[in-house]
Amino acid sequence: MTNKKIIHRPISAEIEELAREHGNDPETALELLKEIQSRHSALTTDSVTDAARALKLPPSKLYGMATFYSMLSLEERKRVLRVCDGPVCWLKRASKDSGQLSVSSNQLSVNSGQSPVSSPQLVNEWKDKFSGEFSVERTSCLGLCDRAPAVLVEDEQAGPVEANEANKVCEGWRGVPTDYSEIRKGEVRVMTALIGKIDPDSIEDATANGVYDGLKKALLSEPTVVLAEVESSGLQGRGGAGFPVGRKWRFVASEKRTPRYIICNADESEPLIFKDRVLMDTNPHQLVEGMTIAGYACGASEAWVYIRGEYEFQARRLERAIEQAESKNLLGENILGTDFSFGIHIHRGAGAYICGEETALIESLEGKRGEPRLRPPYPPTFGFRGQPTAVNNVESFCAVPHIINHGAEWWRNLTSDPTPGTKVYMALGHVKNPGLFEAPFGLTLREIIEDFGGGMLPGSHFNFALCGGAAGTIVDESLLDTPIDFASSQKGISLGAGSFLICDQTVSPVAFLRELLHFFAAESCGKCTPCRVGTWRSLEILNRMVSGNAQMGGVDELKALADLMQDSSFCGLGQSVAIPMKSALTHFGAEFGKVEGLKV
Amino acid sequence: MVNLKINGKAISSEAGKTVLQVAKEHKVHIPTLCYHKDLNPTGNCRMCIVEVKGWRALPAACVTPIWEGMEIETSSEKVMKDRKLTLELMLANHPVDCMTCDAAGECELQDLAYEYKAQIPAWGAKGTRYPVDSDPNPFIRVDMNKCILCRRCESACAEIQGRNVWGVAKRGFEEVIVAGAGVPLLEARCESCGQCVAYCPTGALSNKMNYGMARAHQVTDPSRALRRVTTTCSYCGVGCQFDLLVKNNKVIGVSSNPNAPVNGMALCVKGRYGYDYIHHPDRVLKPRVRRYLLEGKSKREIREQRLVASSLVASSLIANPPVSNSWDWVETDWDTALDIVAKKLGDIRKDFGADSMGFLTSAKCTNEENYLMNKLARQVIGTNNIDHCARL
Repeated sequence: MTNKKIIHRPISAEIEELAREHGNDPETALELLKEIQSRHSALTTDSVTDAARALKLPPSKLYGMATFYSMLSLEERKRVLRVCDGPVCWLKRASKDSGQLSVSSNQLSVNSGQSPVSSPQLVNEWKDKFSGEFSVERTSCLGLCDRAPAVLVEDEQAGPVEANEANKVCEGWRGVPTDYSEIRKGEVRVMTALIGKIDPDSIEDATANGVYDGLKKALLSEPTVVLAEVESSGLQGRGGAGFPVGRKWRFVASEKRTPRYIICNADESEPLIFKDRVLMDTNPHQLVEGMTIAGYACGASEAWVYIRGEYEFQARRLERAIEQAESKNLLGENILGTDFSFGIHIHRGAGAYICGEETALIESLEGKRGEPRLRPPYPPTFGFRGQPTAVNNVESFCAVPHIINHGAEWWRNLTSDPTPGTKVYMALGHVKNPGLFEAPFGLTLREIIEDFGGGMLPGSHFNFALCGGAAGTIVDESLLDTPIDFASSQKGISLGAGSFLICDQTVSPVAFLRELLHFFAAESCGKCTPCRVGTWRSLEILNRMVSGNAQMGGVDELKALADLMQDSSFCGLGQSVAIPMKSALTHFGAEFGKVEGLKV
Repeated sequence: MVNLKINGKAISSEAGKTVLQVAKEHKVHIPTLCYHKDLNPTGNCRMCIVEVKGWRALPAACVTPIWEGMEIETSSEKVMKDRKLTLELMLANHPVDCMTCDAAGECELQDLAYEYKAQIPAWGAKGTRYPVDSDPNPFIRVDMNKCILCRRCESACAEIQGRNVWGVAKRGFEEVIVAGAGVPLLEARCESCGQCVAYCPTGALSNKMNYGMARAHQVTDPSRALRRVTTTCSYCGVGCQFDLLVKNNKVIGVSSNPNAPVNGMALCVKGRYGYDYIHHPDRVLKPRVRRYLLEGKSKREIREQRLVASSLVASSLIANPPVSNSWDWVETDWDTALDIVAKKLGDIRKDFGADSMGFLTSAKCTNEENYLMNKLARQVIGTNNIDHCARL
């Protein structure tokens, strides 16, 4: 028997005070932890325990959070520099030395005993440059794919920058956001129409250019009319799954229970995708307007924007926009003299891709680990705080004011494709003119490369493309002419969130798939077995393949793991990891086979 | 009522039930690991996946509600293949030490691996990730290498005991079960009730006191002088039942009995781990009385003798006064002891009246014992002065 006594330790006065400032509300656990960390440069066992006691939560739950979110740390840190370790930044970095793009470059130490998730080399390269000024950390993706290779200097987004230019960063250089004010040939701009035309921090500019006209128009009619208009527009969700927005809102509006909630999913954490950042950056009022219309249509009075922690700049911009809208009575109590009152809050994430999954997002918003919930029940019936909740993507909300303003008919007539409206696309990789553009649905990959992307880079020819996002399809040239929309994934080419990474002959699909799995293994939440171990094992196999140490049977095992993850994973994350794996193995089976044969 | 088909067989069942519940009612076997009937299902382990016609993914039976027209296959080729591979993913990082593991025989992972003929992969950590026996708790042995992250311990601690000691930390492959903010169990408000041990499907959590003494399947083997005796806990009046694990007529441990009517699997630290008194050398097994009672002397006489002796010591007149040993406890038989008690009670009642006595009973007694005490007080002695410690 032990005679060890557990001595009562009072909660630190500072943490108690901080918790009181947050109303001792368990939902604010994440903010509280972040604040404690920013004051003391790290969380400790004691501070996590104290925070939990102050919020009347079990310490195990808060510790679970502190170790779940990548921006929280129990290790002492100085100013933190986060180096993007995502596939787009990898491609940009490695393109300088094409040896790294191929297999058997031996850049990976397979048997070092290190977790295959860590990228010590990248972090060390940066660390060497800073001798103590910054703590360098890897991060899965910063959402700065158009500024790759990117870093996050504390809250400040910076790029493109390489490790050997680190002194630039020290001196305060951050680079500038990519300018998208120039309209490409063939573009149809609706949501991006005001890029570069307004000062995003000025509501006067916004209203002078028609922002909030949709809201004003919506408030003149009954909520049911607004809902019917969105429904008949056929607007499909822009997060990647393409679920009809109107139908989702109908579910929420037809629930008898109140309060109902609107949540904007701005946790844009998937490699290749940065459209929501650009939309929020260039026209934040459009999002505020769209969310307010959604609130009106669904009978909700409160909304949250769940924005990823790395988008601090954008979060502040949105906060300013909300403040301005409130001051003009476009938000808040009795909007424009009507009975309708609506408030929007900004909630910052803390670094977890899985929080883009809507139920994980809700969990995170409630101050828990961002793990997906069981479904059913779905958020429209049982969402935030168990109430009816509509969760939509930034782009989906941004489309709404235009639909209300110009009518569902107009929206449908924007395109001849069966999918109505326009889409914000992103083209990346080895094209002359990468970046963001808006166009109707039904583009082909060839059009994206040739017409919008300006063609392949000199000396490059098309090898493969990753379509949709990190969890999209890897396609070869056989699918260059297939029109892409939400339904085209049946044909093997997905639209996802609308991003396309074009890779030329220098990039090995095997090495590239490794990068994707590197991302997924780092971001799997760990809840279910197939995804937790499946991503890890797939990465291990690919690590071996890339470094020339492949073992026989690896390709078959990858196939089996992809099948398992797709069929049996708990949530969309695990299920969609299989999409790039399977498509790469289908189109580039020969490449994988060759790698396997390297060492037999 | 909802009409559905399981493996082609038409079934109608109440709405609101899960696929697993309906399958169980109709004797269709679906393997489970993270599921336990006492705990809220979580759908973590993905062992109970089934194929539902028209669905691309395979839903987990434990959390999927039934609906009208649902057609379920519980052991299609796809399902069996995925279950086997999921098991292999668990086994890759699980130590292959079943031959020395305390949980062998009652390990659900072991049973499933056998049932599915799982091949233990050559890759994986194989139990080298965490220190073995990593927690200083005197009752609970922790070996996180054997953990398959089913989270039953977390649920049991939260839902049954309400302590929330266990939690899940980190994410992805690094995910691990921790107590409190990554501290030893006792510092994380653990009551050492052992509920987590009872619900752990593997050897990750086991009982420290009888670790290595006998395995579950051996405890019903008379040829090894081992048996399992269902009994009621003697610590309090709740009446929890459990099984004593008996080896060579010695109690070596306690095991939850899922059929216990009052408590199910739940026990407190005393019931589960407080059995060491049974064979303790200091334990009083026979009644004892003071020697003077056997000698027929009165208490006053003895007390005066003792007072004189101690005053002599106090005034330093003598160092070691001759004290009679009449005050000592003497072992005797029940009849003698009870006779003495009966006589004394009778005397008091005669001299001072029935209400000069009061009876205080114990929460450690059963309802029946307390009832008999009440009979004794009111009908035999004739007083209403009776109370119970739990009424305070």
